[in-house]
Amino acid sequence: MITIEGLQKHYGEIKAVDGIDLEIQDGEIFGLLGPNGAGKTTTISMISGVLRPDSGRITFDGLNIWVEPKKVKRNLGVVPQEIAVYEDLTAKDNLDFWGSLHGLRGPGLKTAVHSALERVGLQDRAKDRVKTFSGGMKRRLNLCMGLLHRPKYLLLDEPTVGIDPQARLAILDIVREVAVAGTTVLYTTHYMEEAQELCDRIAIIDHGQILTIGTLEALTRQSGESEVLKVVGSFDETAANQRLSGLPGLRLIRVEEGTVLAGIDATGPGLLEILPQVLESGLSIDDVSIQKPNLQSVFISLTGRELRD
Amino acid sequence: MAPLKIVLRDLRRMVRNPLRTALLFALPLMLAGIFALVFGGGSASEISIRVLVYDEDQGLVSRLLGGAGSSPDMDRRLDLVPVGAEGFDMMERGEASALVHIPAGFTQAYLDGEPAVIPIIKNPAERFLPQVVEEGGRIGAEVLSQGSRVFRTELAAIGGMTANSAFPSDLAVGSVASGVNHKLESLERWVFPPVINLETVTVKPEITDEGEGNGSTILGYFLPGLSMMGILFLAQSATRDILHDRESGLVRHLLTAPVSPADYIVGKCLSVLVISTLGFFLLVAFGIAAGVDWGPTSTVVALVLTASLAVAGALVLVSSLVGTERQADALSTIVIMVWCLIGGAFVPVSQFPDFLRPLAKTTPVFWAVDGFQKAMQQGADIAAVSTNLLVLGGVGVIFLVLGAAALRRRMAGGLI
Repeated sequence: MITIEGLQKHYGEIKAVDGIDLEIQDGEIFGLLGPNGAGKTTTISMISGVLRPDSGRITFDGLNIWVEPKKVKRNLGVVPQEIAVYEDLTAKDNLDFWGSLHGLRGPGLKTAVHSALERVGLQDRAKDRVKTFSGGMKRRLNLCMGLLHRPKYLLLDEPTVGIDPQARLAILDIVREVAVAGTTVLYTTHYMEEAQELCDRIAIIDHGQILTIGTLEALTRQSGESEVLKVVGSFDETAANQRLSGLPGLRLIRVEEGTVLAGIDATGPGLLEILPQVLESGLSIDDVSIQKPNLQSVFISLTGRELRD
Repeated sequence: MAPLKIVLRDLRRMVRNPLRTALLFALPLMLAGIFALVFGGGSASEISIRVLVYDEDQGLVSRLLGGAGSSPDMDRRLDLVPVGAEGFDMMERGEASALVHIPAGFTQAYLDGEPAVIPIIKNPAERFLPQVVEEGGRIGAEVLSQGSRVFRTELAAIGGMTANSAFPSDLAVGSVASGVNHKLESLERWVFPPVINLETVTVKPEITDEGEGNGSTILGYFLPGLSMMGILFLAQSATRDILHDRESGLVRHLLTAPVSPADYIVGKCLSVLVISTLGFFLLVAFGIAAGVDWGPTSTVVALVLTASLAVAGALVLVSSLVGTERQADALSTIVIMVWCLIGGAFVPVSQFPDFLRPLAKTTPVFWAVDGFQKAMQQGADIAAVSTNLLVLGGVGVIFLVLGAAALRRRMAGGLI
């Protein structure tokens, strides 16, 4: 189990991570979801023993990574956001080096390298220099380096940034396989779909703080909304507030010129009654879209902003 | 063990990049190669100036001049090649440093006390050697001119003798000999012995058991300085990796493995040291292949090791003080060029102006070049270059410790 208590990191006046507490159970895929700049990378850097926290405690099965770093890191695999591989070495050279750092040698290292390359589909390119790889292949090799020594804990920091959908699916499949084999996975992302598809539990982070934690079902239920309405038209903020704020069962999440985001209360009159009232509110409406509650709507209801903002 | 793995990885990267590695060695090898081609691997004393002599006069004076040029001492310096009119074509083809043309009637004009001209045609493709010939010719002309003035009567008499086909009478010869003798006697006070005796002494320290180095070759003279410059650039490239690793996130990734910041820093410092040392030995081997005698092996090995330590330490320190690869490149290039220029890598420190000489000793380049030249020229053993070794080793250790501490502080501060 990974336990994080009171984690804090400040850069001058900026609170990058502001008192995070988490418990990640053995064998689960735990997602840390948040927009860019929310504090995900700072958090994972501290958890992986690279960045020293200002305060707080991080333990892996009771071992504090900042007290016994080498012991913990032997069981830790990290896939950083950057593609951190030596491009002038071959894929095999990179893995040989990485495996040797984790104490693998001889036939054990050879077998581990072979099976890791096979797992990410790079066995045919083992002897090619990484600089000849596509972006997706480099990402897979990056992942491979984290998996090579079959770690008990795997920390992935936005491992699918900047790659094509096919490579992304391949990486997600590998993460699932690893978790099924018993590895505890901490996965940070700003892609809502990835968190929804992959993670057993999700923590939503913004401005260095955990806003909520739970399963996908629990989080969407927690928002208390059955649907989310997005209304787009030619109206100003004041008019929208005046016309829509009094409607029963409708909770305004965000109102700005030309756009309104509003949640339909699960216990209220329901969409079929509220939608006509919205359309007849007198606002000049061009488009209305209806979403089922998801992490996006949860995030919106918690922060008033969309994940991509 | 992690530091050694980092060293092995860096060496493997050099092997996987033969072109990049070759380019790193290209500059010093190219410069050394040019010197080798220009001056050859032989001794500096073997340098000989090829001069074509077109003697159209074939008279007494011209033969005397030719004889003087072929004396045993001059023979080592001058390669006098008698030629005819084809000598001008040979000069066009650049086959000699200069052509000395003694025109027809030169001897007669000289004996008659008339103005005479000896044209010297210089090879424009060469800079120094034709200048040597011209200066030599100027001195010769001055001697002949003074001789003409002092022995005017006797020379006129000799001119009269040579004009006649018959042998001169004993009385005429005796009269000339007596005249010359009389003038020499009157000049004795000033000419024999000379007023000033100039005694040149070359200080030569003790010769070691390993024998005298014979590294007094032009290539050998410049190779230590060029090697230091090459190794500085090689170390610059190796330390650039520290910044590249930092900027590309490789350091952060590495620290997620069971590798401590100290492991990483020690590994990178060792890498720079090993690469610099291997590079230095490669340049030494190149010099040997080109005929350079570096001197006693033990001295050379000790100098290579300590000079590499100083170079590695200096470049690690520079890389620890800056934030980006670009800043490191700029700063380290300035350091390298200044050290090479004032350390005597290109121009001997003895040629520096007085105010600059003490500055030379503030650079590791000076201590390395000085040590190698002592080994080459005097066959100095380790004891004889102990000051050089101490300075280089001490500077290297201090720089490495300071650089490693600065890197450690940056890592602790999250800057890496």
